[in-house]
Amino acid sequence: MPKMESMCYTNFEVMNVQDRGRITVSVPFIESENVSKDFNGQRVLQNVSFSIDEGEVVGLLGPNGSGKTTMIRLLNGVINPSSGKMRVGDYNPEKNADDIRSMSGILTDGAGLYQEMTGLENLVFFSKLYKAYDLKRIKLLLEEFGLAEAQYKNVGKYSTGMKRRLGMIKAILHKPKLLFLDEPTNGLDPEGIQMVLKYIKALNQQEGTTVLLCSHILHQLEHVCSRYLFLQQGQIIESGTLKELEKKRVNIIELKVETGLPVSAGEFGFPAAAAGENVYRFTLPDRSDITPLIQRIAAKAPVYHVEIENRDLESLYFQIRGGKNE
Amino acid sequence: MNKQMVWAIAEKDIRGITKNSQVWIGMILLPVLFAVLVPIGFILVIKYMPSLSPEMEQMVNKIISGIGNEEMKQELMSLPSMTHQMIFVVVNYLLGSIFLMIPCLNAMMIALNSFVGEKERGTLETLLFSPVTLKELFVGKILSAFIPAMGISLLSFLLFGTITTILTYPMFDEFIFPNSNWLVMIFWLIPIITIFTILVNILVSARAKGFQEAQQIGGIVVLPIIGLFIGQATGLLIISPVMLFAIGAVLLIANAGILKLITKYNDRNMLFTKQI
Ligand SMILES: Nc1ncnc2c1ncn2[C@@H]1O[C@H](COP(=O)(O)OP(=O)(O)O)[C@@H](O)[C@H]1O
Ligand SMILES: [Mg+2]
Repeated sequence: MPKMESMCYTNFEVMNVQDRGRITVSVPFIESENVSKDFNGQRVLQNVSFSIDEGEVVGLLGPNGSGKTTMIRLLNGVINPSSGKMRVGDYNPEKNADDIRSMSGILTDGAGLYQEMTGLENLVFFSKLYKAYDLKRIKLLLEEFGLAEAQYKNVGKYSTGMKRRLGMIKAILHKPKLLFLDEPTNGLDPEGIQMVLKYIKALNQQEGTTVLLCSHILHQLEHVCSRYLFLQQGQIIESGTLKELEKKRVNIIELKVETGLPVSAGEFGFPAAAAGENVYRFTLPDRSDITPLIQRIAAKAPVYHVEIENRDLESLYFQIRGGKNE
Repeated sequence: MNKQMVWAIAEKDIRGITKNSQVWIGMILLPVLFAVLVPIGFILVIKYMPSLSPEMEQMVNKIISGIGNEEMKQELMSLPSMTHQMIFVVVNYLLGSIFLMIPCLNAMMIALNSFVGEKERGTLETLLFSPVTLKELFVGKILSAFIPAMGISLLSFLLFGTITTILTYPMFDEFIFPNSNWLVMIFWLIPIITIFTILVNILVSARAKGFQEAQQIGGIVVLPIIGLFIGQATGLLIISPVMLFAIGAVLLIANAGILKLITKYNDRNMLFTKQI
């Protein structure tokens, strides 16, 4: 696990979420306006518009091939849009992309490291490209990401998780204001996913780093992202915070209740089904129905666990995608 | 232009050469062949088995008759024997032209790999996503080919000089190497031709998708050198300091042209799209 304390390297002013909430008139940090991109006549992105505030962690979610990576490339100015306008900080990716790339860090899907060089050699090289060569910091980060021992080994011998962690270090070497993460958890085991996501969250909270995170794997993302953009076939089909999406999209509540004794679930007045030993799934029209239901169940049997099942990111995602297809 | 970035790229690539057998084997093989084995072979054959080389004698006569500079011609004619004349001509004309293979082939192999190597490893994307400007990237790549290729050329020159001097000094009682041809070559033509080869091959490398494809196109640069060698052997195109200087001057102008071409046609978008 990375040690989070050592990340307070600068006396950067940490803005917390509440503070930001009070600022009513603010210019977004990143803006995309009706951006479209064609490859050989094929439309890959279609009128993509969104904005991201400074200090946000935004998840750009969508299935493979939906255009997430293309969006990151456009924002970094390594490819140009077919139409539309973009802005990152004070810069236009079509004109001053070098400035954008200087202030941002990126973790690409393939990590893009030199296999025949050691982990340390890779980091020293990239730190020079980012004008941020600092051996002490490199060593510290290697330590934090659990790669201290592997630093003298060739990256070709690293596991996927180790490569991803090295890629993360590469992305943050120069303390970027903005972080682009393309599939940061792809190919990682649950422990690896947790480690990477925890680090992203800590970085955001302590340094105020703005993060755009692309992923088709939603596992655990709700703990990290403050807002989501759903991309499908090159179009943004939905966006918002988890709460907003829930309000908009969830009109029934699927409540899972675990009790200490068998009960006859039908007698509480809501559609219900058994979902395991002494576990029942109730379908409620509204969240205000939860309390009375639990009270009634509790009168008959001890209640051990109550959970709304269809409010997590994954069920929302499938609902949004399903809704679009209908 | 940020020097640290340029050197970081150059240094990484120069170190990388030792890990690319296709490139470093060539870097050792070429000097051994053209600066050691070929001169030793020629000189020994001429010296000890003159009967084996009637064609050589014919060729040498052609070369001598083709030399434009009268002074040089007189000097050659005044050498004590046909063997002396043959050795002098072989060292300073025939081997001089073929020596250009060393800088050219080395520069070609390294430069061809410059972008293709990054593409094949999937690292060009990372470089293009970094704040490195294209100018810094290209200058870094050019340096990473120029330094080793030029270094090997200088070493080969010293090696060639030492070997021929050891073999010829006792015979001639004077230094026949380096004559003016060699001096113009090493200090004027070779640096320019090395840069020329690098620029052409970097241009090819940036556009090609794989090493094979790049090699087929980039290899064309070697043809003029073979032409120059044949020119010596047939007496049709005898090298002289003036001519070597002129070739260098033409290539120097060509270099400027290619540099313009590189800056004009290689934008990030193109490089990025060509890698996939
Ligand atoms: N350089 C390219 N040339 C042609 N098609 C491309 C190129 N890059 C991406 N695409 C296409 O664009 C679509 C979106 O790709 P991508 O942005 O990589 O999706 P994602 O990252 O969401 O998986 C895919 O259908 C892909 O094949
Ligand atoms: Mg992708």
